[in-house]
Amino acid sequence: MTRRVPPWLLVPALVCGGVVASCGAGMLFCAAVAALGDGRAVAALAVPGAGAVALGAGVVAFAGTRLVRSLTVHALTGFAAVTLAWVVAAAAAAVPLLASGALSDPLDAYFEAMSGFTTMGATVIDDLEAQPEGILMWRCLTQWLGGVGIVVLVVAVAPVSGPALQRAFYAEMSGLTTERLTPRIVGTAKIIAGIYVVLTAAGALAYLAAGLGLFDAVAHAFSTLATGGFSTRDASIGAFGSLGVELACMAGMTLGAINFAFYWLAITGRSLWPQLGEIRAFLGILAGASAAVTASLLLAGDADGFGEALRQGAFSAVSVTSSTGFTTADFDGWNSFARLALFGLMFVGGCAGSTAGGMKVIRVMLLGKIARQEVDRQLQPSGVQVLRAGRRAFPERVRGAVLGFALVYVLVFAAGALALAAIGLDLSTAVSAAASSINIVGPGLGDVGAVESYAELPQAALVVSALLMLIGRLELFTVVALLAAAFRLRR
Amino acid sequence: MRALVIGAGKVGVNVARTLTGDGHDVVVVDNDERRAADLQPELDALVVHGNGASPRLLAEVNAGDADLVAAVTEVDEVNVIAALASRQLGARTTVARVRDPDFFGPDETFAHDVLGIDLVIDPDRATASDIARALVLPGSVAVEHFGDDRIVLAEVIVTPDSPVSGVPLGERERPFPAYIVGISRGEETMLTRPDLVPQPGDHLLVTAPRECVGKAIAHLCGRVEEVRDCVIFGAGSIGMHLARLLEDTKVRVKMFERDEQRARYVAERLRRTTVLHEEGISREAQEAAGVDEADAFVACAGDDRANLLAALYAKRLGADMCLAVVSREEFTPLVDALPIDAAYSPRLITSEAILRFVHARVVRGIYLTRSGFEVIELEAEPGAPIVGKVVGETHGMLSGKRVGAVLRGGEVLMPPQRIEIQAGDRVLMLGVEGSLAEAEPLFVSR
Repeated sequence: MTRRVPPWLLVPALVCGGVVASCGAGMLFCAAVAALGDGRAVAALAVPGAGAVALGAGVVAFAGTRLVRSLTVHALTGFAAVTLAWVVAAAAAAVPLLASGALSDPLDAYFEAMSGFTTMGATVIDDLEAQPEGILMWRCLTQWLGGVGIVVLVVAVAPVSGPALQRAFYAEMSGLTTERLTPRIVGTAKIIAGIYVVLTAAGALAYLAAGLGLFDAVAHAFSTLATGGFSTRDASIGAFGSLGVELACMAGMTLGAINFAFYWLAITGRSLWPQLGEIRAFLGILAGASAAVTASLLLAGDADGFGEALRQGAFSAVSVTSSTGFTTADFDGWNSFARLALFGLMFVGGCAGSTAGGMKVIRVMLLGKIARQEVDRQLQPSGVQVLRAGRRAFPERVRGAVLGFALVYVLVFAAGALALAAIGLDLSTAVSAAASSINIVGPGLGDVGAVESYAELPQAALVVSALLMLIGRLELFTVVALLAAAFRLRR
Repeated sequence: MRALVIGAGKVGVNVARTLTGDGHDVVVVDNDERRAADLQPELDALVVHGNGASPRLLAEVNAGDADLVAAVTEVDEVNVIAALASRQLGARTTVARVRDPDFFGPDETFAHDVLGIDLVIDPDRATASDIARALVLPGSVAVEHFGDDRIVLAEVIVTPDSPVSGVPLGERERPFPAYIVGISRGEETMLTRPDLVPQPGDHLLVTAPRECVGKAIAHLCGRVEEVRDCVIFGAGSIGMHLARLLEDTKVRVKMFERDEQRARYVAERLRRTTVLHEEGISREAQEAAGVDEADAFVACAGDDRANLLAALYAKRLGADMCLAVVSREEFTPLVDALPIDAAYSPRLITSEAILRFVHARVVRGIYLTRSGFEVIELEAEPGAPIVGKVVGETHGMLSGKRVGAVLRGGEVLMPPQRIEIQAGDRVLMLGVEGSLAEAEPLFVSR
């Protein structure tokens, strides 16, 4: 057989084909949900779904999987494949939104789809209750697909394995270090996907137990475990007004924001300590942030009584820290301490290797350690400093990597905020929308606050926001390195 | 007993010499022809030149008939292979000296259960745990456990504040059950007599039941502070093991290491220890690390001379207890003349561990102090000559030895209490080196 596709194109083609076909399968699932439910928008989901499956399968078949086993590719090809896959996936996912008439503007639809896949959860649809059930399910499903990583899911069901797929896998997987649970990358992807499915099923059962209907339970389980934040209601989780639902949601968001490798270590009975430091810090941050926000709500009189303050404060802290973005209260109306605290928590995010966004707890922990060690170095210049989280010691190069990541993160965030301000957003809207996008949280402050949507933003702002989401979701360097390489090629 | 000793280094020679002294038949194998030739006239044993890991050689020296094969060369792999091969050939007991913990698997039982090596001894680890035990018991410089850990033998330095300093032993107060069995003063070692007067700087060998050993030692040496701050000089494998052991206690540890890579390697593997990339011999470095305030300074780098120098420096700066690891036997007499509180020899500790293991049937323990004392624990078999005798009234049976404690059932009996030895008693005795082998027959039934 002659080589029909050059290797640098083969991997992006395979990954994109797989991703598009998966999207199509998801649309067909939602079409089935719609057909069994309210019967609206069935065609708007089924036709693009069938088309996407056919197109994706066609691309994969044309490219051929025979070479994947032996093919090795440059890291940049991996970056390109994954970035391209996400851009293409969002385009495919936008089609049903347009076809059903939920959104009329292609850019709005693309933003909505990207916000879905990146699990940001910011929406430009103002009247969710009026939308067809199939479309609402599809939005939540995009979050679920993007949550653990759509390429991870594709690799999990890939019929072949190879070093080229590994590149794509690591380009998408979040985290400080590469996790390897099994010898083969396909096996690792299968385990992660399996854990994800089990957690999601548990989430759906918890929602059912808390009193949601089957449709709402499944849709919210998708967007909760993905730490996404899309809801079927305009008022988000707050629309249900049920403590049980809120508790199930908080548990789901927390579980989704914990490193999936941890579950695997726990299931297989291996030593948990490599992950424990980060998880302990994450839970500590959740507890501390909940307490601080609750206290400030009580002192400022933003909530009625301790019970209400704790319920709203804790939910907001968990929702924002895990980069989910569900809301039960309009935190934009709270005192400035609470708002600033929530703004800061966006940057922390969840654990590395989870579905959450943000800088990740482990990086924040290490940044704190680096700061403390710099002070120690002044007192004891000859002391040997070891970067450590819990009992896990990191090699010295991680110090530079973490500092570099933080620097680029802040620069990208600042550039995004500046761009949004230049487009005409007011200060707190621009800054919080940029933070919310890069940390893939969802709601921000001001015009993009908890009870607002992104529908009022100018089109240019949606483009900036969507780009920030993609950069944030793929952990900076996948996209930034690709952009840098593209820029250098052109010169 | 037929014993085969592989490796005629310091440990091998020590083990071989003690075993021949005890009357066993010993074959020594070494791959250095010159060393083998030099050793032959010094030892009442057969010295063979060859590769101890070679099955052919092992068969030639009848390793299969040996009651004991001790593989104690400098090379881990040779020791492991020699022990495994001898065991396959039929040797009854095998001992291997192994430095790299990777060889003995996830836990200690792996070597025994899977590899079939009866005793794996790591000189560095054994040394570190000896030092750690001495550090954890304040005031003592060396500690050994006997009688199922019920009896402790400690070496304690007398300070001017000590209540026993300048008081004849027969007249000293005894607030705690503890018995002084021996004194070493400079290079002289003495079994205790009631008219002996301890002086500041003397090392007392004291037996005490485990429960009250801490208080007894604090009382005897005249100070009570625990070791809180410890500075370790040299992050070699002894230093690292020691820091690991101390991390489980309340002791704060600082560590000097002059090699940057090694310092980093160790720092990554320790949790609470502060590792300083510094040579650690200069006054500035030691003061910056707080050596002057430290309760203990342990010099355990790879170089004896550096260890002695660093420990001397630390003592001068005011570190409370200064210990040094000294491998070379030539330096041992020198250490007594220096103001260093105690010296540890990994080789001596290794041969002790091996000999203790070998004597395990009747003899429960042996401890060769640097000063030339031996301590053994013997169990009186029914009908043995010693049964029925009263300690201190044996009519010369135990001359040249001092009984420190007797374990009867779970109970510890100590002189000056009147003790009549019964069958089944385990008797802890101190004697000058070599004198204890003659005591053994007294405890065996005829």
